[in-house]
Amino acid sequence: MSGRGIRLWLGLVTLALMLAALYMIFVYVPTEAEQGIVQRIFYFHVPCALVAFVAFALVAIAGVFYLWLGQQVWDDLGYAAAETGMVFCTLVLVTGSIWAKPIWGAWWTWDSRLTTTLILWLLYGGYLMLRAMAGDSEQGARFGAVVGIVAALDVPIVIVSVRLWRTIHPAVLVTRQGGHGLEDPRMVATLLVSLAAFTTLFIWILCLRFATLRMHTRLGALARSLALAEAAAQDS
Amino acid sequence: MASFAARSFVAVLRKDLLLEVRGGQSTVALGALSLLVLVVLVFAFNPAGGERGAAAAAGALWVALVFSGMLGATRAVSGESENGCIRALLMSPLDRAALYAAKLAAAFIFMAVAEAASIILMVLFFNLEFDLRVMRLAPAVMLGALGFAALATLLAGISSRLRGGDLVLPLLAVPMFVPALIAGVKASAAALAGAPLGEFAVWLKVLVAFDVLFVAAGYLLFEYVAGEE
Repeated sequence: MSGRGIRLWLGLVTLALMLAALYMIFVYVPTEAEQGIVQRIFYFHVPCALVAFVAFALVAIAGVFYLWLGQQVWDDLGYAAAETGMVFCTLVLVTGSIWAKPIWGAWWTWDSRLTTTLILWLLYGGYLMLRAMAGDSEQGARFGAVVGIVAALDVPIVIVSVRLWRTIHPAVLVTRQGGHGLEDPRMVATLLVSLAAFTTLFIWILCLRFATLRMHTRLGALARSLALAEAAAQDS
Repeated sequence: MASFAARSFVAVLRKDLLLEVRGGQSTVALGALSLLVLVVLVFAFNPAGGERGAAAAAGALWVALVFSGMLGATRAVSGESENGCIRALLMSPLDRAALYAAKLAAAFIFMAVAEAASIILMVLFFNLEFDLRVMRLAPAVMLGALGFAALATLLAGISSRLRGGDLVLPLLAVPMFVPALIAGVKASAAALAGAPLGEFAVWLKVLVAFDVLFVAAGYLLFEYVAGEE
């Protein structure tokens, strides 16, 4: 199957799963007793967070392969993963804030997970700024790979330090994380379908972005060889 | 042949230190910047001394460290490209990792001098006492300076080669430095408050882990940053 065919099928599967997830979230799943209706955002929030983590891990893996093998494919993959991951990471922060306002009484608290997610968002925001400034040069790809690897190395130590920071001086509001008590099997089913929907959505967007970047790379190579041919024709 | 790497490290470091001693202004600029940051923070927080004053002082010290670190690493790395010296360094048979180590050492030395000065200034501005508690700041601040120098030297290698790159360095370095910043501020506040050593040691461990990770990462990855062209 061609790349285009794969992307079409991925899109259709994502559409079907997303419709099923929406139905389950808004109609099928029972309302959580303590938190009420706002708890339903959890079925968006958690899959987005997982997908964002996977995307950022992918940036680092692609970075290692790019530095090792020097093939442009790896950089296109890493760049696409960083952009896609950034979208989902933003969604995590936004949906989290919407949930936190009625439950915790504040849009934002410096809870360890929130802080870690914000740092992640800043890290990969910096990565995207760097890529935008470097333009599409071989140098930009190399710098992107280095920063992607260093950022991923930073993540575990960010998690540890933020957790220590918060356990030594615990905030009042952070004792209960939402969604830990999924007693009802319908809740588990909804979460699983939602996870599947967001995973395919991520893969689909990633494939689209990756294909665009591949095209961009090929176009750049063509333009360069055209310029070379023209220069040679003028010389002779 | 380990001696070749060691000799090139010493040669580059010696060059940087000589430049500094014979009228370079890095340390002076770093110290002045730290002074300004502390003054600004005194105006911003109007500290009253005592327990809260000590916590504010610890925070101010680390803000000064981040700012002076950015300047220090930029000067150590981009100073080379001003007269094309970086090209000569890259053309020489010098090992890239040794070059990184030398640049890191230079940035660390400049920062360490500036930090020592800002610890003294902090005690004066925030009405603290020169005693054992202030001495206990030294390991935390030096570990923080080493970590920031390691991170910023690697990133300055990137930012110095991009147009408009001066913006990139803080955008990348500050979020990456967050773990060391948390640990450093906490360790310093614990030291100044005279907290038991155990509380202080937890944060020192985080700082050591950060330093090991970023010195190793910079040492291995600098090769790709200071590539050809």
